[in-house]
Amino acid sequence: MQVISPWDAAKSMTEAPDTPAETEFSGRRGRLFWLALKLGFLTVLTLGMYRFWMKTRLRRWYWSAFRPMGHPLEYVGDPWEKLLGFLIAVVFLAFYIGVVNLLLMFASFSLFNGNVAAYVLSFIGVIPLWFYASYRARRYVLARTRWRGIRFGLAPGAWGYAGRALWHWFLAIVTLGILWPRKAFYLEKYITDRTYFGAEAMEQGGKWTGLLRPWLGVWLPLIAAIVCTAAVIYFETNAISSIPQLDGPLTPGALENDMVHRAEASLFQMLPALVVIYLIWQPLALINYNVKRLRYLTSNKHLAGAQLSLAPRFWRVTGIYFWGYTLASLVAMILLVPIAIVAIATAVGLGAEIGLELGAMGHLSQVAMTAIAIGSYFLLFLMWSVLMHAFIRFPLMRHYAESFQIANPTVLNAITQRPRDEFGEAEGFAEALDVGAAI
Amino acid sequence: MSDTMTIHVGPRPAALGALGTYFDGETAEAQPARLRIEEGQQVLVIEVRGQQKVWPLTDIRRVPDQADREQLVLALAGDPVVRLVTDEHRLAQRCPNLSRRNSHVKRGRVLGWAMAALASVALIVFVLVPRMADQLAEYIPPEGEKALGETTLSQIRTAMNQANLEPLPFCENAEGVAALKAMETRLSDAANLPVPLSVHVLDHPMVNAFALPGGHIVFFKGLIDTAETPEELGAVFAHEMGHVVSRDPTRHALRSAGSIGVLGLLFGDFAGGAVVLFLTERLIEAQYSQAAEANADTFAMATLENAEVRPGALGDMFQKFLDKYGDAEGTSAHFLSHPKLGDRIANSSARQAEVTATGFTDTPLLTDQQWTALKGICR
Ligand SMILES: [Zn+2]
Repeated sequence: MQVISPWDAAKSMTEAPDTPAETEFSGRRGRLFWLALKLGFLTVLTLGMYRFWMKTRLRRWYWSAFRPMGHPLEYVGDPWEKLLGFLIAVVFLAFYIGVVNLLLMFASFSLFNGNVAAYVLSFIGVIPLWFYASYRARRYVLARTRWRGIRFGLAPGAWGYAGRALWHWFLAIVTLGILWPRKAFYLEKYITDRTYFGAEAMEQGGKWTGLLRPWLGVWLPLIAAIVCTAAVIYFETNAISSIPQLDGPLTPGALENDMVHRAEASLFQMLPALVVIYLIWQPLALINYNVKRLRYLTSNKHLAGAQLSLAPRFWRVTGIYFWGYTLASLVAMILLVPIAIVAIATAVGLGAEIGLELGAMGHLSQVAMTAIAIGSYFLLFLMWSVLMHAFIRFPLMRHYAESFQIANPTVLNAITQRPRDEFGEAEGFAEALDVGAAI
Repeated sequence: MSDTMTIHVGPRPAALGALGTYFDGETAEAQPARLRIEEGQQVLVIEVRGQQKVWPLTDIRRVPDQADREQLVLALAGDPVVRLVTDEHRLAQRCPNLSRRNSHVKRGRVLGWAMAALASVALIVFVLVPRMADQLAEYIPPEGEKALGETTLSQIRTAMNQANLEPLPFCENAEGVAALKAMETRLSDAANLPVPLSVHVLDHPMVNAFALPGGHIVFFKGLIDTAETPEELGAVFAHEMGHVVSRDPTRHALRSAGSIGVLGLLFGDFAGGAVVLFLTERLIEAQYSQAAEANADTFAMATLENAEVRPGALGDMFQKFLDKYGDAEGTSAHFLSHPKLGDRIANSSARQAEVTATGFTDTPLLTDQQWTALKGICR
C-alpha cells in the first residue's frame, strides 16, 4: 500500500477553481473567556493603561481564529504604537479644547453675549473629526492585518471619507431616514474600493437599493410609530378642550364628537399592545437589516477575480444576541446586588444618622461595605466586557466564519506584497474620541 | 520512505523532519515545506520547492496569542513578513528565544515621543491657554464681559448645589440688601470704578467672596457671619473691587470658560459633571498671582482711606481667617490659598500705623442698625 504524505498531497493538489474555499474557525470559548478576564483584570488594576495591550492581544486571538482557506489571519499591531497614538490624539484634543474653544468662547461672548454659539460650533467641529478618526482607525487595523504573509492596506483618504459621511448623513436626515441604506452602501464602497490585499485593490459591487428592502422593515414601523405618537398627542390635547361638550344637549355636532371620542378610546385601548409589538419588532428588524446588509455588501466584494460571500442567518444572529445579553444581564444583576445594598444603607444611614449611634463599629462596617461596593462596580464592568467577548463576539464571528467563502480562490496565489504603512498615530483619535471600533 | 517523519526527542535530538506551510511574504502563495534541523549549525532548514531557507534556531520567534493551539506560527527575527506554520510542536523545544518580543516598534523612541506629547499638553494647558486668555481679556467688549460673568455665576451656583439641581439661592432680605447697597455706594464712590457693580450674597456657609467678569462681586453668607464689624466686610469688598478694576476675573474666567462645558460634552454626564465641579472650585478659589493679590490689597487700602475707613480693617479680617482656619482643612477662601497671608496682615497694620501717624480719622461704614440688617440678609 502506498502512503501519500500530506506534503506530496499538498504539492500535487491543484485546487479546482470552481469550488469556493471555505473558512475554518478555531479557538475555544473557554480560552477566550479566561484571556479576556485576565487582560480585563490587568486593565482595571492599571487604571486603564493596560487597555492598549488588552486590545492588541485580543485582536491577535480573534484574527488567528479566523482562517479563510485554512490559513489564519494575523494581527501585527503593537500596544506601544497604540499608546503613542493615544497621546498624540490627546495633544491635539488638548489644543482643541484649550485653544480653539477659548477663541470660540471669546468670539461667542464678544459677538452674541453668550456661550451657546461657542458650544454649537465646538460640537459641530468634532463631528468631522469623528468620521476622520473612524477611517484612520480602519486604516490602522487593515495595515496591521495579514493573511498568507501578505499585508492588507487602506489607501489614504480620511478627509474624503469625513466629507462624504457628512453629506450622506445630511441626506439621510433630511429624507427622514429613507436614504439611510444609501449612506451605508456608499460609505462602505468608499472604504472597500480603497482596501488592498497586497498590491491588489478590492472592489465593492452592487447597488444601494439592494439594502432598501430590509431597511423598509425598520423604517416603515418607525415612521408609523412617529405618526401614531403625533396622533396621540394631538388627540390628547384636543380631548381636554372638547370634554365639556359631551355634557351638553344631544345635538348632531355632539353626536359626531361622541363618535370621535369612541374612536379615540379604542385607539387608546390598543395603544399598550401596539407599543409592545413595536418594541419587539424594532430590534428584530434592526438585526435583520444588519444581517442582510452584511450579507449583501460582503457578497458583492471582489478581489482580483476572486469573489467573497457571506451568508449569516437571521435567527441564528438573533439567538446569539438574545442569549448573550440575557446571560450578561443576569450576571450584571447579581453583581448589582451588593452595590444596591450599600447605596440603600448609605442613604438610610445618612437620613437617620445611624452612624453616630453605631459608633466605631458602624463606621468600620460602612468602610468595608463601600469597599465591597466599589469592588463590585469594577467587577461589573469587567464581567460585562468578558461576557460580551465570550457570548456575543465569539459566537458571531464563528457563525460568520461558517458561511464566509472565497470563490475562484486560486487567483489569490499570484497576489504580491505591498509596502508597510507607517502609521504615527495608530488609532489614537478613535481611542480618544471613543469611536466604536469592532474589538 | 523519505517523507516519514523522524523526530528525535530528548535534550539534543539528532535531526527533525516535519512538514509545514511557508509564506515568503512576497506572494500570497502557501508553499508546502519540509523542515529539518541541521544540528551542526543549529539552524532550521526549510525546504521549499527545492530551495532551502535557513533559519538560525536562536532567531526563531513564535507569533503569540494564537487561538489554535494545534499549530505553531513562527516568524524569523528581523524579517517582518515571512511565516512558517507547522503542527510540529517539538520544534518549539529547540528554539531558545521563541517567546522573545518580535516587533517593528522601538520602545525607546515611543517613550521619547510620549514624553514630548505630555510636555506639549502641559505647555498648552499651563502656558498657551493662560497667555491667550490674558491677551483676549483686553479685547472683550463690556457687554460680552458682563455676559461672561453672568454665565460663570450661574455655573457656579448650579455646581455648588448639585444635590437639589436648583441653583444656590441668593440672599435677598430687603433691609440687608439696602445696607449692602449703602456700603457699596460709600466704597465705590471712593474707588472710581470703570464698570457698574452687581453685588450678590449666596446662601452658603463658606467663608469666601469672589469677583467675576463685568463687575460681579459675590459674598458667601459664611463671610458675613464671620465679619465682626462692617469695616472688616468693607475691606473684603474693597479688595474684590481691586480685582474688578484689574480685570483679573475676566482673564481667569476666559481660561476656564473654553473648557468647562466642552469637557462636559466630551466626558459624558458622570465624569463630565465631576470635571465641571472641579473647574468651578478652581474658579471660586481663584488663585490669582501673588502680584494680583498684592495689587488688590493696595487698591483696597487706598479705597478704604478715601472712604474714611481704617485700612487696618483688611488685616483684621485676614487675621480672622487665619484664626478660624489656620493651617487646618477647609481653607477654601481665596485669601487663604496664599502662603503669604501673614505678610499681607503685616502690610495692612503697617499702613494703618502710617495713616494714624498723619492724623487719620475714620467714620463708621454702617450704622449699628444697618449692620444688624446686613447680618440678617439671608433671613
Ligand atoms: Zn483677591
